[in-house]
Amino acid sequence: MDAPTIAYLDNAATTRCDPRAAAEVSRFLLEEYGNPSSVHPLGVAAARALREARETLARCLEAEPGGVVFTSGGTEADDLAVLGFARTLRRHGRHLVVGATEHPAVLEAAKALGEEGFETSVVPADRAGRIDPAAVASACRPDTVVVAVMMANNELGTLAPVSEIARAVRTRAPRAAFHVDAVQAFGKAPVSLRATGADSIALSSHKIHGPKGVGALVLAPGRRPAPLLHGGGQEGNLRSGTENLPGIAGFARAAALAVESLAAEVPRWRRLRERLERGLAAALPDRLVNGDPERSVPTILSVTFPGVPGEALLHHLEARGVLVSTGAACHSRRGGSHVLLACGMAEEAVRSTIRFSFGRFTSEADVDRAVAAVPALVAELRALSR
Amino acid sequence: MEKGTTGRGLECLVVRYAEVGLKGGNRRYFEGRLQRNLKDALASVGPARMGRTWGRLLVFPEGDPAPAMARLREVFGVASVSPAVETRKDLLEIEPVALRLVGEALSRRPGEDRVPFRVEAHRADKSFPMRSVEVNRRLGATLLAAFPRLKVDLERPSLTLGVEVREACAYVYADRVEGPGGLPVGVSGRVLSLISGGIDSPVAAWLAMKRGCRVLFLTFHSHPFIGEATKEKVKDLVRRLSRFQGPSLLFVAPFAAIQTEIRKRSPEAYRTVLYRRAMHRIGCRIARRHRCLALLTGDSIGQVASQTLENLRCAEEAADLPVLRPLLAFDKRETIALAERIGTFPISIRPAQDCCTLFQPDNPVIRGEVEACRSVEAEIDLDRLVEESLASCEVFRLAEGKPDRHHSPATILPSPPRPDPENPASRAAAPSDRPGSLEVGA
Ligand SMILES: Cc1ncc(COP(=O)(O)O)c(C=O)c1O
Repeated sequence: MDAPTIAYLDNAATTRCDPRAAAEVSRFLLEEYGNPSSVHPLGVAAARALREARETLARCLEAEPGGVVFTSGGTEADDLAVLGFARTLRRHGRHLVVGATEHPAVLEAAKALGEEGFETSVVPADRAGRIDPAAVASACRPDTVVVAVMMANNELGTLAPVSEIARAVRTRAPRAAFHVDAVQAFGKAPVSLRATGADSIALSSHKIHGPKGVGALVLAPGRRPAPLLHGGGQEGNLRSGTENLPGIAGFARAAALAVESLAAEVPRWRRLRERLERGLAAALPDRLVNGDPERSVPTILSVTFPGVPGEALLHHLEARGVLVSTGAACHSRRGGSHVLLACGMAEEAVRSTIRFSFGRFTSEADVDRAVAAVPALVAELRALSR
Repeated sequence: MEKGTTGRGLECLVVRYAEVGLKGGNRRYFEGRLQRNLKDALASVGPARMGRTWGRLLVFPEGDPAPAMARLREVFGVASVSPAVETRKDLLEIEPVALRLVGEALSRRPGEDRVPFRVEAHRADKSFPMRSVEVNRRLGATLLAAFPRLKVDLERPSLTLGVEVREACAYVYADRVEGPGGLPVGVSGRVLSLISGGIDSPVAAWLAMKRGCRVLFLTFHSHPFIGEATKEKVKDLVRRLSRFQGPSLLFVAPFAAIQTEIRKRSPEAYRTVLYRRAMHRIGCRIARRHRCLALLTGDSIGQVASQTLENLRCAEEAADLPVLRPLLAFDKRETIALAERIGTFPISIRPAQDCCTLFQPDNPVIRGEVEACRSVEAEIDLDRLVEESLASCEVFRLAEGKPDRHHSPATILPSPPRPDPENPASRAAAPSDRPGSLEVGA
């Protein structure tokens, strides 16, 4: 399918790279291809570019440049925080607290720590995907060493009150590192290390129109998780390996663009979401919108169409050039699947749920295509499935 | 065929075959097929020469023989494989090698204090001064003297020292690993496997290959109810199975229109049975066109509602070719164990919806009746729907580690003439067998 013929409404899965970020990637692959560790001019130029990328990220996140650790993506950033902090803080305790809707990068890392004698408490989310700071507080213990909560839920878009949670963690588990997975929030809502009071924040480039395979863990001053990779000591010895400068430069550019355009994009996305919501509501009064309308990123709309197999709807939409994703547990191949169940949604409803998600390149025309296609398909599939 | 005279230490693989030897007049044909299959299988691990001797094949890999040996153990028709050492044809040279190989073999079985043993010499070179029996006796005596744990047992040896004396040199071996047995793929003719993304059908296909069948594959794809991922999963299964028979053809027949029509016009309980009848119809059409002698399914009696004897009969009644079901008497766990062994299990359990689950009835009929099926089908323009599916059927030629080749439907199924029910045999005759060739029509 060619780019212009599809209405891509699956930006929470990944995004199209912004041409300006792609140009950076290309420049550092073809022209400024030096190794930042080399001492000749090409290497020195690469080191300078790396420093600038780090400063850009630090500005975007209101953090110190020294706290920015570039990784291979959101997964590695989450792993580095959860595993790394648990290992450096283990002498203070072996207890972790994680949200029920966390990405597998966090949940599986916590599970793996079971082998090392760690115990994990899972904080439930409500139907709208909300995590209650009081519930986090009551899960915390004096021997809790890592607390991880995602800022924006990737299925529902619901935003967690992270600074409130940070305060709760500080009082209940003063030694714990508080990690925030902001992969889905960054670029769609203000994300600030200083304002959240977190110890670390995970980011991923491909969710913000940057290249895939690069991300960052942004650390508060003085915080150092144990590294996962051992080698040449790059990234302040927290992430050895020759730096992926093309990816990092593309990521930095994409991050700067995302932050610059945020103020203008948020109202545009709100209008798109309203347009979609209203269009669907007019034709399908029995559709249910999931999530928390008060506090969520404006780029995600999760809708349940009772009695409609979500996967069949997805493929029928794909045949009309509209690309979305399902919340279904067993059939969408990976990721996201457990999230709606963890929010207490019934399996039946999960199977009938579709997620529409927007990005920089989503237009009104894309939304209108979805609005035009969905109602007839819902009626058809409902009749067939009855 | 062999190399010079004194490639001492150079290893070769002695390949024994199972039932090939039993097949009287067909023997040369079987051997030739096996030899070609071995050559094709070895192509992926590196160049090798081949020779025949005394009802076995000799394989001379140019590099490390270990990967070649592992690969040969997957080729149907191979009963066992032994790595052998090449020596000069001189007992003075054969003896020390025999001592070394038997010593190594014994060191791998430390617990056994009596190892039943025999020597088995074959002399293809009649100019060799000793007769086979004498070689057996001489080497036997030497080995028994050197290793007191050995005990001669001609009937049931657990350790056999083999010597093949040929024109240029001799081959000595003591080790033997089992192959899969069965018949070389291709000697039994072609079958068309109806494959889903599940666990059973790939195992059924592997078993048919084991009995010498070349398997072509057909899957049904209900886009847009089912996504591309399901098709990719079936392609991965076929790619994996091509390991056992070489490049394989997969036909992908669109099935959404048929399912929707059946969904609309049939009693709910009969849906699944009717899907399967339609699949058999399409399968028989493709099978005849591509000279397959039977359909092949992964059915096991009573495993699910559509697999009761009554429902199997309903499905089969729509086919005008035999339907082979090698898993009929398998329990699920037996099938899973085989699927794990042949490497299809991890692919089969990947989540992806398959078309049989579409509009699945809550209470499917258990004892379906052929008459009931027929009377529903009379209401549906099934012939047209089958033709439409055939006309837009896709075909892929798949092999492990190679890019797919996609054939447009037109090259495979040009405006289909009606199959000739009077004369099926004319098309399904000689099992000629160019892997992946796309013969069209008769
Ligand atoms: C909330 C969340 N965390 C982490 C990740 C993983 O990021 P990446 O794909 O860069 O490894 C994702 C993306 O799938 C995500 O949505």
